[in-house]
Amino acid sequence: MTKLKFRFSRKAFAYPYMIFLLLFVVVPLVIVLINAFLGDDGKLTFANFAEFFSDKGGGLTVLGNSLIIGFVTTLICLVIGYPCAYFLAKYHASNKVLVLLFILPMWVNFLIRTLSTKAIFMALDVKLGMGTVMFGMVYNYLPYMILPLHTTLVSIDHSYIEAAEDLGADRFTVLWKTVLPLSVPGIVSGITMTFIPAISTFAISEILSSSKIFLFGDAINMHFSKTTNSFGVGSVMSLVMLFMVIIANVLVSLTEKKEEVKSSL
Amino acid sequence: MRKILPIFLCAVLLLSVAVSAAACNPDNVPTDELVVYNWADYIYDYKDDFYAYYKSLTGRNIKVTYVTFDTNETMLAKIMQGDAKVDVICPSEYAIQKLLEKDLLLPLNYFDEDKYVADMQADFAKYVHNGGNVDRNVLGKIDEAFGAVSVEGQDGTRKMSDYMVPYMYGTLGILYNKYAFIDSGIYDYGIMNKANWGILFNDDGDGNLLSNGLTGNILMKDSIRDSYAATLFYLKESGKLDGLTSTDESSSYYGKAYSELSVGEFINAVDDQLLSLCQQALTQQKEQLFGYEVDFGKDDLLKGNAMVDLAWSGDAMYAVEESWDDSLCAACSEERGERVYGEEQRDENGNKYYVCKHCQEECGDYELSYYVPHSAGNIWFDGWAIPKNTYNPEHLNAIKIFINFLNSPRVAAENMMEIGYSSAVDPEAVRQDADARATLSRVYLVDCDYWDKKDENGNDVAEFDYGSWEEFEEYFFDSRDVMDNSNWRYPFVLSDDETRALETLGVMRDFGVNNKAVVTMWNYARSTGENALPLLGWTALVLVVAAGIIVLCEYIKRLRNSKIKIAPAASGGESPDKSDE
Repeated sequence: MTKLKFRFSRKAFAYPYMIFLLLFVVVPLVIVLINAFLGDDGKLTFANFAEFFSDKGGGLTVLGNSLIIGFVTTLICLVIGYPCAYFLAKYHASNKVLVLLFILPMWVNFLIRTLSTKAIFMALDVKLGMGTVMFGMVYNYLPYMILPLHTTLVSIDHSYIEAAEDLGADRFTVLWKTVLPLSVPGIVSGITMTFIPAISTFAISEILSSSKIFLFGDAINMHFSKTTNSFGVGSVMSLVMLFMVIIANVLVSLTEKKEEVKSSL
Repeated sequence: MRKILPIFLCAVLLLSVAVSAAACNPDNVPTDELVVYNWADYIYDYKDDFYAYYKSLTGRNIKVTYVTFDTNETMLAKIMQGDAKVDVICPSEYAIQKLLEKDLLLPLNYFDEDKYVADMQADFAKYVHNGGNVDRNVLGKIDEAFGAVSVEGQDGTRKMSDYMVPYMYGTLGILYNKYAFIDSGIYDYGIMNKANWGILFNDDGDGNLLSNGLTGNILMKDSIRDSYAATLFYLKESGKLDGLTSTDESSSYYGKAYSELSVGEFINAVDDQLLSLCQQALTQQKEQLFGYEVDFGKDDLLKGNAMVDLAWSGDAMYAVEESWDDSLCAACSEERGERVYGEEQRDENGNKYYVCKHCQEECGDYELSYYVPHSAGNIWFDGWAIPKNTYNPEHLNAIKIFINFLNSPRVAAENMMEIGYSSAVDPEAVRQDADARATLSRVYLVDCDYWDKKDENGNDVAEFDYGSWEEFEEYFFDSRDVMDNSNWRYPFVLSDDETRALETLGVMRDFGVNNKAVVTMWNYARSTGENALPLLGWTALVLVVAAGIIVLCEYIKRLRNSKIKIAPAASGGESPDKSDE
């Protein structure tokens, strides 16, 4: 008779979380996948896909708007965030308080921050709309851009820069030819960390435009919470969202392999 | 010793469990259970009253589990999937219709006393059937609106009132800032009655802007059904439906002109023509909107961020009561067409009060007000029903006692004070009932504004808004809006009012097969209008300009560098490049 042995290894500590993942991530995804192919009558159908891709309910328009807003948010975050991260990294050793100041807003719940932003805009008599939404988005996602950039920039070996300077490069050339290429992994992870949440957000646009600006997240939310029989289309939209996340992650892993410099974030 | 300790611990544990169980059930009376599935904040603190009532009828204890939902749709999804173990639910009328059509409701027969009490176990010497208390106007309206409901897989038709017991009802209307309207010069019965639902679209009824001040200050409800109803009414009033006929082949009024339909028929009309017109109107409306509200509507109006909101009567009532401002003089403001504030004064106790400098009267008015357009409106009902596939048959007795409990005048009064909507219990029954009067008096006459004000000895020294029951009764039951003489709390009282007939209030049924089309329309209307393309354009422009500036800077730099090179050469000296080498 063989004795069933249960060896208690360190691996066992991971099981509870594995089970959690299985129950609350994998199973719901499977349900979403099944729902996307179910019609009102419970039969297999592609009608949900047809409805979404024919733009009858404005789904594609919303997706387009969300992508544009996400893209512009990411761009602004990058333009503001890179110099910021660069100088933070440069003065890192002497000024940790400065880094803390940039992380500080992340400690406050983003809903509270957004509601306060709205209150400020209302007090200043600023009309809520695209401008305020963009402000809120950049404000909220900027730390997610700065932090990965900062980590990468700090980890760049200073001898590269010295070498470049020794070889006669001026300060701009050092930045352009040495620092920037070495920080590409940070840029890529910063972009994904900003772009992905930015296209799926709905709370910021809802609060800062009083729901006037309708994003992809809003549309998905509406299909699930305001109606009883359009779970199918909502599931298709969730799948589209998921598809974009996967593409973004594939892109990240590609650049990471190529550069062989892994960002520590 | 090592073995005794665990045994001892177990014994202590068991003992404590036994003690706590005994503490829960000291008199050893069997406990029944009931699971109530209701809107959040939609009942008063009923527990003690209901436990006492239940015990007096059955001699048993009751444990009520109270579960809440936030939209009819979440409730429907749970009941239809049958995965919620709930005994009694309180959704809106159209959700009840939907459940009934799917054969998911148990007959209640609350308005046929013999049938209702037939399988009940109660001490009938103490049991009073409250079916007669329910307002017959409400019941009539429900049965008239839904007519004969055919049930899936069953022969014949059913009557809604056999399956539901109405709980609360109210209207859909326009909550507006009265003083903003005065400032814009549109606080006038003639103007508002002409614009009606057009107020939400900033349309004065002739297709012109009602007021420039309204642009960007209108809130629309983020609710498909309510927004659809308001838009339909607006289309009809503004003449956009003139000469058009219904294209809905499945309806009884196919081919009839929209203008000939009764409000009850019209509010339920859905066809492609109406949908595309609605979509157009809602898209155009966006330019006038402050936004769509879900929960923040009241706050935005009170803070002055917006002036108009599509609202339900109970929410509106609450917002109006919150909007009391001591310093506003109503009479002079209306007369002069602008906000008139009083001057601050102090009485002998140091309390602030305001006196108007024009009329020398003490000031104070509600800043917000509520208006139900007279051309057409929506009236809605929430009611209790038993879902067939999720209720526990053992709980049936408790369910029936619970429903009957809710229809006693005193409980109705408590609920009205707590929730703010009108109870379906006949206002006359509430007014005549001594207990109910005592409740309303307690809540309003004694506990009103300064209910927690106490002197140093802990005695109540609350100040009262109403001197007597009669004064309060007039406020509560016969309160008329100064603008159009309407009674918000009891829209049915309007039926004997010349300004409006009961027929102008329609009940909205479930969209049925058209549901998907309406949802698609609403999604489309929400998605379009605010386009992000200009944003992309601006970004491209900024990028091009930035690139241009960088190129220009480079160019100037090179130009300067080359000049420096040339200069020493011209004077015959050595170039700096050379000296470096």
